Amino acid sequence: MTTKFQAALDRVTRVRGVRGAMLVASEDGLVVAESLMEGVRGNAVAALAASLAKRFHRASETAACGVPEFLHLQASQGSLLATPAPSGMLLVVVAEADINVGLARLEMRKAGEAVA
Amino acid sequence: MNDDIRALSAEVARDPASLAFVPLSEALRVRGQLDAATKVALAGMEHHPNLADGHDLYARILADAGDVEGAADEWSIALALDPRHAGAHKGLGFANFRQGDLDAALEHLELALAADPTDQTIVQALQTVRQIAQQAAAHPAEVPERPAVFAGLEGADHGLLLVDPQGRVLAGGLRAQSGHDVAEEVAAYLAGVSQEAERTARLLELGEWRWIMAEGERGHLHLSAPSTSALLLLARDKSVPSGRLAILAARAAEVARRWLEAQTL
Amino acid sequence: MTQTRAVEPWTLEPLQRFVAEAAARLALLTTTSGQVIAQHGFTRAVDVMSAAALGAAIAASTSEITRMLQEPAFRALSHQGQSHGIFLAHFETPRGPMLALVVYGGDSSIGLVQLFFEQFARDLAAACPTPEPAKPVLAADFERDLNESLAALFGR
Repeated sequence: MTTKFQAALDRVTRVRGVRGAMLVASEDGLVVAESLMEGVRGNAVAALAASLAKRFHRASETAACGVPEFLHLQASQGSLLATPAPSGMLLVVVAEADINVGLARLEMRKAGEAVA
Repeated sequence: MNDDIRALSAEVARDPASLAFVPLSEALRVRGQLDAATKVALAGMEHHPNLADGHDLYARILADAGDVEGAADEWSIALALDPRHAGAHKGLGFANFRQGDLDAALEHLELALAADPTDQTIVQALQTVRQIAQQAAAHPAEVPERPAVFAGLEGADHGLLLVDPQGRVLAGGLRAQSGHDVAEEVAAYLAGVSQEAERTARLLELGEWRWIMAEGERGHLHLSAPSTSALLLLARDKSVPSGRLAILAARAAEVARRWLEAQTL
Repeated sequence: MTQTRAVEPWTLEPLQRFVAEAAARLALLTTTSGQVIAQHGFTRAVDVMSAAALGAAIAASTSEITRMLQEPAFRALSHQGQSHGIFLAHFETPRGPMLALVVYGGDSSIGLVQLFFEQFARDLAAACPTPEPAKPVLAADFERDLNESLAALFGR
């Protein structure tokens, strides 16, 4: 199981601009598996990404847009991407500000399918 | 200080375990002296932790202070101690009404009336809530009048929402696909989302957050901050590509900035 | 009107920051013997004392289990209930070992609590004044200190 998760994450981290990818338990905000560059704080990414996804989920449901299938936080020096993964997990990517989001998203979708 | 409060204070000073703390704290609460009322109530509950009236009293103080959630917790404790406590049922009726849950409000008020049929305030509250519930069922909520800031832009009154940092609607509108107005409810959530986005970007050293976009099962959302005093939400159905959302949002943000600047002059 | 109160004033600001960031509903800082140092969210002294005693007992029994297993000292326990989660942590400060008991609801998570707890422990270490030399404890002093603690914790 761990090898499968790791292989899926490693695929995502090969996209240029990705500084880290992880699987997070979305309710608890805890790390399930990670593949991170030096300097990326995995436990912080997990907790904050899960909390952000939960809050946006409530807004999205109330606006009748349904469950968010892809979340993109753009900041001045980086970005955070997240997509639901099987078994109550969230696949989270920390990336540079100018990442090719389309490509990252494609790899994230494949990674999500791989961990099912 | 009037005679009642003086006499009750003397009684509680003489005997800190006296139940006179309940009417004393209530008298202070009614006079708006919430800090003093809290101190008396908490001191009294030290001696009587299982007194339902004590928890009911403290709940009313919390409600007066604006902490409806805390008040609801205290009323729940009072009901756990005394399931037929009229005051606690009345209080939870009020709390549920404030939170928009009319069914739960009616249930608690009816239980309050069953416990104390002579309390006219409960009768009145029941009539009011029943009337509102009937009106809500007969007529869908009217959309409040809001400034037409985004007039001329696509989705001006149903897919563009300008909100202040406390989650209150400033302009625009938002409707679900069913046509139901969801602006106020969504606005309330957006403040929390933006605060979490700011914190996430800061703690993960991503710089300042610019916007968040979510692609949902049935629609897309784009949230940005056109100024430090406002949040802008753009909502579109799934047929609109997410790349186009960013362009639409940038246009709407420019309009919003001009309007906000005009408000401060 | 939920308030944060402290017997040891230097713990107040770190605890307030932690509670705000982690969205904790209740928080209790104690010594490992259950003596309360600061609290947030409790409305009754009897609840504070009960929680402090139970937290100390859980920490002591868990420490004993880890000792029997020849594992490093117990650091943290957590429990996730239906609507609330509980987090209990044992950590060192310049004033000696302490326990933190945290209760959180659906607007937080164990991940957030753990994340901000680490910062809280660092903030406490930074805020801690130089320890005073230990004084002998007399029964009268104990009674007075206990009453003063209760007064500080409940603003009376």
